[in-house]
Amino acid sequence: MKAAAFDYRSAESVAQAVALLAEGDTRVLAGGQSLGPSMNLRLARPQRLVDVKRVASLRAVAADDAVCSLGAGWTHAEIEDGVVPDFSCGLMARIAQGIAYRAVRNRGTLGGSLAHADPAADWVNTVVALAGTLVVEGPGGQRRIAAADFVRGAFTTALQGNEMLVAVELPRLGQKSRWGYHKLCRKTGEFAKAIGIAVLDPGRGLARVLAGAVEAAPVPLPLAAKQLWEAGPAAAIAVLDDEVAARLADLAPAERMLRVVAVRRAIEALAEG
Amino acid sequence: MQVSLTVNGQRRDLLVQPRMHLADALREVLNLTGTHLGCEQGVCGACTVLVDGVPQRSCITYAVDCADAVVTTIEGFDADPTMTALREAFSAHHALQCGFCTPGMLVTARDVVLRLGEVTEARLREELAGNICRCTGYVGIVDAVAAVAKGRQPEARREVRLAEPRQAAPLVEAMPREAPRLARPGGAAMLEERVALTATPDAAWAALADLRRVAECLPGAQLDSVDGEHVTGRVGVALGPIKASFAGAGTVALEAATRSGKLSGRGRDGASSAEGEVGWQVLPGDAGGSVLSVQLSWRLTGPLAQFGRAALVRDLVRRLAQEFAANLDAMVAGQAPPPARQLGLFALLWSVLRAKVLGR
Ligand SMILES: Cc1cc2nc3c(=O)[nH]c(=O)nc-3n(C[C@H](O)[C@H](O)[C@H](O)COP(=O)(O)OP(=O)(O)OC[C@H]3O[C@@H](n4cnc5c(N)ncnc54)[C@H](O)[C@@H]3O)c2cc1C
Ligand code: FES
Ligand code: FES
Repeated sequence: MKAAAFDYRSAESVAQAVALLAEGDTRVLAGGQSLGPSMNLRLARPQRLVDVKRVASLRAVAADDAVCSLGAGWTHAEIEDGVVPDFSCGLMARIAQGIAYRAVRNRGTLGGSLAHADPAADWVNTVVALAGTLVVEGPGGQRRIAAADFVRGAFTTALQGNEMLVAVELPRLGQKSRWGYHKLCRKTGEFAKAIGIAVLDPGRGLARVLAGAVEAAPVPLPLAAKQLWEAGPAAAIAVLDDEVAARLADLAPAERMLRVVAVRRAIEALAEG
Repeated sequence: MQVSLTVNGQRRDLLVQPRMHLADALREVLNLTGTHLGCEQGVCGACTVLVDGVPQRSCITYAVDCADAVVTTIEGFDADPTMTALREAFSAHHALQCGFCTPGMLVTARDVVLRLGEVTEARLREELAGNICRCTGYVGIVDAVAAVAKGRQPEARREVRLAEPRQAAPLVEAMPREAPRLARPGGAAMLEERVALTATPDAAWAALADLRRVAECLPGAQLDSVDGEHVTGRVGVALGPIKASFAGAGTVALEAATRSGKLSGRGRDGASSAEGEVGWQVLPGDAGGSVLSVQLSWRLTGPLAQFGRAALVRDLVRRLAQEFAANLDAMVAGQAPPPARQLGLFALLWSVLRAKVLGR
């Protein structure tokens, strides 16, 4: 239950961290809240960690009236507390509050969670649901990747070994926006058994419905979203059984039902406002 | 490495290995044994201390990562009025028995009281969910914390200022785009993955029947010996941050008539072991090609971890079976051996098995 030996470096800037990553068997250390357990269990044995906690640019926030960009280094707790300005009509804070426990949220970061890409992780599903964009930096500069393309599968992302995630761009939700988030888990703070997300922003023309924690990349439900946009929550709920059955055909019936229930409750929560 | 931090008001310079977590540094180096260790994976809360004023898990925080931090352990709250009130309430409400969870529980409780003030019992229970107590059944703990929180207001919040408006980023699409299609239709709950090969069934089977050649298609796998139906070898695993190397032994059974094979094996990596069975079968496919079906079953036992969730296997098998099939196809077509990659099908299966052994 103790980590194997490793070398520790602390980076001052993204450029410095990226240069260290390029030297091989080096991993980024953000909050360590996923890396720490994996290393203690010796599932992960990196030769070297490059700590990015002191990189100021990872804690930038910027926004215009359409998009808000959050640095990868913000902690779940800072998002929960509204230390980071809210652009999501409360969605981000609500989701943050349901992640793990306060002591974990005080250290774990948005970027670390996304880079780790646990399919049951709350942010992984949220950024895909919101059709966000991830900003990634490597030796050749920055590139921007749609969230749906970033998450390739369980614990697998589009990040190259010498790249790191620097920021997440999410749509600013308009004042008339409504959303619902439902996380099914047996114990508070646990990773989700199933996640349902529904977002509707009439001003921006944004309608998204997503089934998450499917142990693979999150699964958007465009048909339900279309129904939600055109005919309202009840119509969206009406197509759920079929759309989930079609898109998650290889899940066992009980597992599929969990996703249907999570998504239905998310849409119901959206409807209640 | 040398690291300086402030512990319970005193500046301390420690010489520690990077791998030493904060809890061990507190307990072993500073003799502050009030901080307890239960799970060492962030779940139980026994190790919770304040780092820079907020509760954190000292078991998944490295001491070197706390340079210049201000740490407060349970020994450091003697003069703290909230903690004094909590200690008295814990005593009055029988909120502890063996006391193992108590240091972490008190640190968490103090934060809840100060941060949230008086809250509903349901919220209080949620907030305490990250601290596990095996003795009390929680009723006394919840009552004690509620008693101290009663009538209190939450603390004021910090806020950050927004940066200057940035250059406009493209607007997200208005309507959802097509979701990626899943690789395979069909309603089976059994773990099976099918991939199409361009090779004819006979050519694919001939390739698969030669285990040494199969191993070449399994990047990360290395076959050490083949003795009749007994094989030994090792597989390397890389999945996100997870890396492992399993040395294992197994038994292979091949059946030419049905073009099917089966490998049952056990593997060990350090303290963990896994046991499982992989079956494969070559079926006729479209246009003279073939279809490779891969089935997986596994047996696992063991304590909890963040990683072991059964359905993960499905996604992993799907992706790896596809990679394996591409390599196999190339090999049957007489192309150069596939470039070495970290992740192999069996490697992957083993990794999942292993995660399950350590996992839920
Ligand atoms: C008990 C417990 C319960 C939890 N429950 C939940 C839950 O319910 N829901 C949930 O979503 N999460 C949960 N988590 C995980 C938690 O949210 C972690 O904080 C998060 O997954 C990882 O963030 P981190 O900053 O700690 O990253 P780290 O652990 O430091 O890093 C994780 C991985 O990402 C890489 N990485 C980190 N930052 C970057 C970057 N900027 N660029 C590139 N790579 C990077 C690291 O190299 C590593 O491989 C739980 C954790 C614990 C311990
Ligand atoms: S020992 Fe740290 S949370 Fe269990
Ligand atoms: S008092 Fe024994 S574990 Fe809580």
